[in-house]
Amino acid sequence: MTTSNSSFPGRKLAWLVLLVITAAILAIVLAPVWIIQPFSPQTQRGLEWSFAMKRWSPILTLIAAAAALMLVVWLWRNSRGWWRKALLVIVFLPVLPATWLARQNHFEWMFNPLPNPAYAMVNEAGFVDDSDIVLAIEFKGEAAAYPVRQMAYHHVVEDVVGGTPIVATY
Amino acid sequence: MRDEETGSWWQQVSGEAILGPLKGKRLKSVFHDELTFATWKREKPQGRVLKPDEGVAGSGQYAKANWEERMANVPVATSQVLDQSLKPRTLVVGITVNGAAKAYPFDAVLKQSPIMDDLGGTPIFVVVGDDKRSVRAFERTVDGRKLEFFLKPGSSQLVLADAETGSEWDFTGKAISGPLSGQQLKKVAVLNDYWFDWKAYNPKTIVYDLGGR
Repeated sequence: MTTSNSSFPGRKLAWLVLLVITAAILAIVLAPVWIIQPFSPQTQRGLEWSFAMKRWSPILTLIAAAAALMLVVWLWRNSRGWWRKALLVIVFLPVLPATWLARQNHFEWMFNPLPNPAYAMVNEAGFVDDSDIVLAIEFKGEAAAYPVRQMAYHHVVEDVVGGTPIVATY
Repeated sequence: MRDEETGSWWQQVSGEAILGPLKGKRLKSVFHDELTFATWKREKPQGRVLKPDEGVAGSGQYAKANWEERMANVPVATSQVLDQSLKPRTLVVGITVNGAAKAYPFDAVLKQSPIMDDLGGTPIFVVVGDDKRSVRAFERTVDGRKLEFFLKPGSSQLVLADAETGSEWDFTGKAISGPLSGQQLKKVAVLNDYWFDWKAYNPKTIVYDLGGR
């Protein structure tokens, strides 16, 4: 009983730190998702914050998740009662998907680039209707067209036209 | 857009890096046309066309032919106060010359093409092709002489004539007959855009007034 009593303030502190770490991990990962919503205007400041968070969150979440894991292990050993242990698991559970999400760009899940774009000559291009709109460029006599219906899906296509590397975007 | 090499974020409309190590850099803009496939292939029979990705096409994920009509009802995101005279998703032809921006409502271009105008101190004109979709703009000064263009009636493909010399011009801005035959008008970039989007990137834009014509 004496050991348990003497470690009680330490346990309380460990719980507090664990909660703060968990909240911080969730904040740094979820804030950019909330700030950069599609169909809502963004501000330069909001984007700057989001960019910084996306940039640093992979390493920060990893360190924080490791610290949280150590605290959980320590608290687990020093906790009695199944409900305390269950609470530990509940607090730690969101840390894992958040640490994973920090390594993802959820905006890029929505858009699928075209890694190996292929081209057809005009007389083989039965896949485009006459009334379809194309983005067209010409460099040094080489003409290329990017149908908007495809561009509206891939959004970004890289190409070299007339020796000049270009990116077509929609 | 994000680049793999530095992770900077690029604004699509301007090609400017707005965040990251390359912030402030700007990609060099390449002149491009936005045309119907019919018009483009008539002008560029030797051109090449981006093929659809088979996996994406097979699962029917590319936009349908009428996708633009359906977009008309999608809500808009803007922090700009919009001119009351135009609905946010009004299609406009946006032109910038010497820093001066102007939006020509697409309906006005359809009705009045070719539109003679002056923008940023430069005489230009805006014209829609015979497909009634493809829009181009040109400077209309040739050898120091300002020209006025009108549609030549009765031709199967779009032919313009200038009032000053009577030369005939095609949709690519090239004189095909008359005293100025062989001359090429300087192209002016146009952006087909929604009014709210054009206004967001060109807050000082003026709007072409349809007038009483």
